[in-house]
Amino acid sequence: MVEKLNTVGTATPRVDGLERVTGRATYSADIRLPDMLYARVLRSPHPHARVRSIDPSKALAVDGVKAVLTHDNCEIVWSSGDRANQRRLFNNPVRLVGDPVAAVAATDRHLAEEALKLIEVEYEQLDFVLTAEEALEPGAVEIYPGGNLSPLFSFTSPGPGKREPSTYVRGDVEKGLADSDKVFEGHYVSKHINNAQMEPRVAVARWEGDKLTVWTPTQGISSCHRDISTSLKIAPEKVRVICHYMGGGFGNKNQCQDSDLIAAELAKATGQPVKLELSRKEDFIGVHGRWPTSQYYTIGVKNDGTLQSIELRGYSGMGPYKKSSGDIAGIDFYSCPNIKKQVYTVFTNTAVGANFRGPPYPQGVFGLGSMMDEIAHDLKIDPVEFHLKNFTRQYRDQTPYTSSGLAECIRQGAELFEWTKRWSAAGSGPGPIKRGIGMGIGGFGSNLGRSSAVLRLDSEGTLWVHVGVTDIGTGAKTTMGMIAAEAVGIPMEKVQVISGDTDRCPYSVGESGSRTTSHTGWAIVEAAKDLKEQLAAQGPPQGDDELIAEASPAPRLQGVARVAFAAHFVEVEVDTELGGIRTVKYVAMHDSGRIINPLTATSQVKGGVIQGIGMALHEQLIYDENTGIPVNPGYYGARVMTHVDAPEVEVHFIETEDATGPFGAKAVGEPPIVPVVGAMANAVFNAIGKRIKELPMTRDKIIGASL
Amino acid sequence: MKTITRRSFLEQSGTGIAVVSAIPAVGVAGPQDASSPDPSAAQSQVHLKVNGQDHRLEVEDRWTLAEVLRDHLELTGTRLGCDRGECGACTVLLDGKNVYSCSYLAVWADGKNITTVEGLANGEELDPLQQSFITHDGPQCGFCTSGQLMSARALLNDNPHPTEMEARQAMAGNICRCSNYNRYLESILAAAREESSRG
Repeated sequence: MVEKLNTVGTATPRVDGLERVTGRATYSADIRLPDMLYARVLRSPHPHARVRSIDPSKALAVDGVKAVLTHDNCEIVWSSGDRANQRRLFNNPVRLVGDPVAAVAATDRHLAEEALKLIEVEYEQLDFVLTAEEALEPGAVEIYPGGNLSPLFSFTSPGPGKREPSTYVRGDVEKGLADSDKVFEGHYVSKHINNAQMEPRVAVARWEGDKLTVWTPTQGISSCHRDISTSLKIAPEKVRVICHYMGGGFGNKNQCQDSDLIAAELAKATGQPVKLELSRKEDFIGVHGRWPTSQYYTIGVKNDGTLQSIELRGYSGMGPYKKSSGDIAGIDFYSCPNIKKQVYTVFTNTAVGANFRGPPYPQGVFGLGSMMDEIAHDLKIDPVEFHLKNFTRQYRDQTPYTSSGLAECIRQGAELFEWTKRWSAAGSGPGPIKRGIGMGIGGFGSNLGRSSAVLRLDSEGTLWVHVGVTDIGTGAKTTMGMIAAEAVGIPMEKVQVISGDTDRCPYSVGESGSRTTSHTGWAIVEAAKDLKEQLAAQGPPQGDDELIAEASPAPRLQGVARVAFAAHFVEVEVDTELGGIRTVKYVAMHDSGRIINPLTATSQVKGGVIQGIGMALHEQLIYDENTGIPVNPGYYGARVMTHVDAPEVEVHFIETEDATGPFGAKAVGEPPIVPVVGAMANAVFNAIGKRIKELPMTRDKIIGASL
Repeated sequence: MKTITRRSFLEQSGTGIAVVSAIPAVGVAGPQDASSPDPSAAQSQVHLKVNGQDHRLEVEDRWTLAEVLRDHLELTGTRLGCDRGECGACTVLLDGKNVYSCSYLAVWADGKNITTVEGLANGEELDPLQQSFITHDGPQCGFCTSGQLMSARALLNDNPHPTEMEARQAMAGNICRCSNYNRYLESILAAAREESSRG
């Protein structure tokens, strides 16, 4: 148990709850400026084509059309759009259906839409390739000279790396297999799915002299600010990014989007503010979704279930631009002496594959977690026992964790779920509607790192907390306020959080990678120490005086790994005649260290689980193989989860004492989706006795497997 | 070539039938800037009663109700998530029924009573649903929240004591990608209890 604190750990409604329920919350789309123009983007209808010519003259002749941008008059490189190659705002050749070809600014949004139809584009269609494995075959069209294997990606050194698969080796898999009593092989496939956050992309750009202000939905005002400054070659102090309310991202709104830059360039060209609104379809095909994977496993075990060797050869389809790692992850949740992992991240002519909650994990844990379940089944070992035997004790079997509640998550979760009582042999139900249970483990790194906070205490006793976070739905404004209240030792009512504006807030790490609480929360704790020292030395401020404290810590973990863990347990009901799957019971056990705000943390876990169920059961962006055109971009086609699909998710936290991080808090946002898909797949296997190895587990697959 | 306009598409696709009556315009509400009607586009005059206030406006026939509310009446609490009748973020009440305002033309709303999220509270006193949404943490990112509130209001007006299943079904047209469905359901059922205890 963790020590009781005053504010931290108390279920606290969001500080901006009132704005969110009255419609007063101002999202980027609600910004309207005098003389503002509306912009629209013309996108490629072809998956791969050379643009022979673009003629915007008819569009420009329309009264009210103010500017048209194409690759002929705009050669700006979108720096965060692609780590490996030089991606421009308007590319030639175009490399996916949805690649921007031109952008129009007009006095009215309908006029802008109509003007798009008047732009004459002549295309020369090229061969295209849609899947990673096909793209590596000899004779496949080369999306870039030199082939389709993408360069290695590094967070620390941007720019192109070597063109080779990313490789991780520990021990010797050959020896591991020789030492094994049994060897299992399996092939698992996951599909491209869109983040589908409710708020579509929109950007409002305004120039005042040489200063650019952009209102945009972003998961990181600081990174967006940096990206705009880099791409448009503007001094950082001449860029301001504002995002007070943001309608979800789940990785889709990391950094800046091309729409931010296009709006800025149109605003510059016309001398008027510009609002660029992306349609839902554009958001589905023109931004990015989770990368699809193909995973080949070879796993060796002893007869008692002890893992000896794990080999993974994987392929990830990144679309034609590489924004993210393309990794396939999950092996680190298991202890095993011999590992070899090779992941080929490959260019394809599809929507870009990039970050979506827990980026490399849910698909990896689907494949690997299914393999583990296959092995346990074959060896007649209970999956809970199997996991208690093989779960990770040290990061990569060599580095101690700062804390780990994984064993407790597995044990207590199984107990609360009544695993033993619910268990029956795979496929043993009389049918046609069969029940089954499954489990999965997972987690997400919760590193520490650079972020900043400024605290101001005024003579009224109000504590102003300036942090460069945007509250993307996680409740960051509230948790930052709670951390400040606790650290300074004042009640929450006296705290005001100032966020979402690069002119008013210091650097913050950005709302991605589950980092806000650990990074920016830590900066608040450090600044609070300074503030309390000042308070002790000088007493409370009087009149117009204020006490101001700032901290920009960049803590680094040495020789330890900091990870938030989870174990999930699910029961499903599978209709073997009609193919439907209903989630009957779901228990999510999480070790996120100390929980800052149990109210919002629980909501995040519930939401992450239900998102994961959508990935397991319904979602995929389907491409027509003959034309390379995506056929179901939209909520209806994606079949995202609705009120009627969503089960009640039972959430429990194992609150471990983690000596690092603000009050010992670890990550919350990313982990909940990680174990879901694997757990669901295992439950379906337990129900019907057949294993579905390709996502999503749609009716056709269930019926086919049940025949 | 026959051009398909938004209006003809929506009408033909069975979303509704336009009823255009000629109420004299007493002035065009909303800011007089880039979003005034395009003189070349087909226009109508409409009388909308929004959150109890009368508005007589000249609208382009292709403008959706969502567009008029957001851009011409400055009621931006009605959100546009998909603008194609799939997500429910734009839900408003039209004569008490919840409709997708992105798929309902402004001209069809002529003479009707419209309630948006801005009209839910009674002055500073929140609707029990709004209070419940705050207490039970309904909104995460909050972008679908207005629509969830309006569908929930329509539900409770129609059925003050919904079962859990009735509530889920009534809310099926309102997607939440944060997938905070458990919290929304909890909020709605708690608000229903609160309202019935008030009598």
